[in-house]
Amino acid sequence: MYNSHNPYRPIETAVLEVNTETPTIKTLKLKPKEPLEFETGQFIELTVPGVGEAPFTPSSKPLIKDTIEVSVMRVGKVTERIHELKKGETVGLRGPFGTGYPMDDFKGREVLVVGGGCGFAPLRSLMYEFFEHSGEFKSLFFRGGCKTPKDFLYKKEIEGWSQRDDLDVRLTVDEGDGEWKGNVGVVTTILDGIPMNHAEGIAIVCGPPVMMKFAIKKLQELGFKDTNLYLSMEKNMSCGLGKCGHCRIGTYYACKDGPVFRYDKIKSFPNIWD
Amino acid sequence: MAAYLISRDGLFDLLTRVTDSYSVFVPVRRGEKRFFTKFEPSSSPEESSKEMENGRYVIGEVRTFEPLKIFYLRSRGIVADGFEDTVTRAEQKPYCIVGAKACDIKGFKVQDRVFRDDEYKDPFYIREREENLIISADCASVIDTCYCLALHVNPYPEESFDINLSEMSAGFVAESGSEKGKRLINENASLFQEAKAEHIAERDEQRKRIAGEVKKNIKANDIPDQDRLKGVIEKNFNAPIWKEEAETCVECGACNMICPTCHCFLMYDQMDAQRMARLRVWDSCMIKDFAQVAGGANPRDHLWMRLRNRFEKKFDYFPKIGDIYACTGCGRCISACPAKIDIRRILKRLVENV
Ligand code: SF4
Ligand code: SF4
Ligand code: FES
Repeated sequence: MYNSHNPYRPIETAVLEVNTETPTIKTLKLKPKEPLEFETGQFIELTVPGVGEAPFTPSSKPLIKDTIEVSVMRVGKVTERIHELKKGETVGLRGPFGTGYPMDDFKGREVLVVGGGCGFAPLRSLMYEFFEHSGEFKSLFFRGGCKTPKDFLYKKEIEGWSQRDDLDVRLTVDEGDGEWKGNVGVVTTILDGIPMNHAEGIAIVCGPPVMMKFAIKKLQELGFKDTNLYLSMEKNMSCGLGKCGHCRIGTYYACKDGPVFRYDKIKSFPNIWD
Repeated sequence: MAAYLISRDGLFDLLTRVTDSYSVFVPVRRGEKRFFTKFEPSSSPEESSKEMENGRYVIGEVRTFEPLKIFYLRSRGIVADGFEDTVTRAEQKPYCIVGAKACDIKGFKVQDRVFRDDEYKDPFYIREREENLIISADCASVIDTCYCLALHVNPYPEESFDINLSEMSAGFVAESGSEKGKRLINENASLFQEAKAEHIAERDEQRKRIAGEVKKNIKANDIPDQDRLKGVIEKNFNAPIWKEEAETCVECGACNMICPTCHCFLMYDQMDAQRMARLRVWDSCMIKDFAQVAGGANPRDHLWMRLRNRFEKKFDYFPKIGDIYACTGCGRCISACPAKIDIRRILKRLVENV
C-alpha cells in the first residue's frame, strides 16, 4: 500500500548496477533510500531527475526488500536517458502502484505462464514467487517467445529453469539464427499439447498487446475459461494513482485496478488491445 | 437554516475584512464575459459602494469565464520539489472565492471523488478544499449556453458553500452552509440583519424566474434531460456521430481546460539549478498523445475516437463508477470551442439515435 504523504514525490534512489540484456534492454538494480515493498505484478515509476518518469514492473524477487530490479526497453525520451545511467547515479522511485497477481487464487492449481518479448520482465518476478512457493501449485508451465534469439531477456537464467523439476519450459522465436535449436514460430504455436486440464487451469499472459490478443484467443480455443485468464495491460501510465486519467480502460484505471486484470473483467470493453 | 440580509456596502466591508486572512476573488465583467479578479478593498466607504453599484463586481449574474477548479488545481503547479516530502506554497493565503455558481459547485462532486475521496489522497487539492472559503451566489441571469437543469443542477447553490448569496434589490440574502460560514456571519454580525419574509419571497421568486429561463434554453435547444442519457454512449459507440462531429475539431483542448469536471493532468519534470521540480499541468484527452504509450501504440489514434472518449468519460464512466454525470451544464465548452462543436447538439443526437 502506498502511504507517502505526497504521492507525487519520488524516493531518492541509487543505481547499484546496470546490465545490458539485449541490444534494446538494460536491467538496473536500484536501492531506494526508504524501503519499497511490492507485490509481483505491481509497477513502479522511475524518475530520471529533470527528464521525467516512466512506469516499469520490477523483475526482481518481491521478497528482497532493500533493492529492486527493473528491465528497461529503450523506446522514448525517458528510457533513452535511463539507458545512459551509470552505477552510482541518483534516480527517483514512486510506488508500488496497482494490483498485481492474485497469488492466493493460484494455489493448488495448474498454472501456465505465457510470455512474449519485454513481458519477460514482470514474469521473472512472478516465476520467483512460484519457485518460492513451489509445492503449493499443482503444476507449472512456462511458454515464452521472442522475435529472435538475441532478444531473449534473462536468457541464461531461463535456460537454467529447464533444469528445474517443478517447471516445464518451452521457448520459441519468430526468426531463428544459426545457433537456435528450439521452435521457430510465434508463441501460440507452442501452446498445444500442454499436459494440463485446460478447463480448470490458470493461464497468465504478459507481452506486447498483439501477442496477448492472439494468445488469449488461442487459450480460449484450447478450453481455458475467461475467469482463469490473467493479463497485464500496457497503458500510458503516469500518476499511478487513478487521477491523471491517462490509463483508463472502460470503468477501470490500469494503474490502480490493474495492470494485472482477469480477462473476464475487461473483455467487454471495446478496443482493449489497441 | 437562518437567512440574513446584507447590504451591498455591508458585503464590501465583509470582503474587505476577509482580505486579512484570504486572497479574495470576485467576478468582474469585461465585455460580455465575467472573470474572477482579485478584490481590491477601497479606502473610502463612498467609493466602495460605488464599486458595488457600478457593476464592477458582478456577484449575481451568471458563471465566470474560468471554471472554479483554477483555485483548487492550478493549471500549472509544483507537486514535488526534489526528493523533499513537502512543497513550499507560492500563495500564502488561502482563497476566498466570491460569486461561485451552482454549476461550478457541482464540479466539486467529480473533483472531490478523484482527488479527495479516493483511496489515494491528493494533499494539494485537499488543502485547498479545507482552507478556501466559498461565498457562492445564485444565478441572477442566464446566458444562452446554460443548461444546468438538464443535468439536475438548480441555478442556485445547495451544498458545498460556506455562505451563499442571493442578490436582490436590498442587497443579498445570505445563508451559511458550513461551520466556517456560520462563524464568519457571527463574527461580523453587525453587517447582517435577519432576512424578512419579503426578502425570502423575492429570492424565491427570482430563483423560479431564472430556472424558468434555463428551462426555456433547454427547450429551445432540445437538450435531453440526464434521465435520458443512460446507456446512450454504449449504444452509439460505433455510430457515425463521432466522425461527423469531430470533423472540424482542431485539437486545441479548450473544451477540457475550461470544463469544471475535467480533472486529467500531465506531470513533467524540470531541472532548475540542479534541483528537480515536478509540475502538474492540466491535460486534454483531445490531444493525440494523451493515451499513447512510450512504444508509440495509441488506442485513440483518431480525433473522433478522442471526442468519443471525452463523452464516454463524462456520460458513461462517471455514471457507472460514481453515479454522477460529469457535466454540470455550464456550457463553457460550447463557447470555448473554435470549431463550434456543441455538446448540446451531440447529446441530442445521441439520444435520438438509440
Ligand atoms: S462538458 Fe461542457 S457544459 Fe459540461 S461541465 Fe464541462 S464545460 Fe460545462
Ligand atoms: S474545444 Fe473544440 S476544437 Fe478544441 S479540442 Fe475541444 S472540440 Fe476540438
Ligand atoms: S496513471 Fe494516472 S490515472 Fe492511471
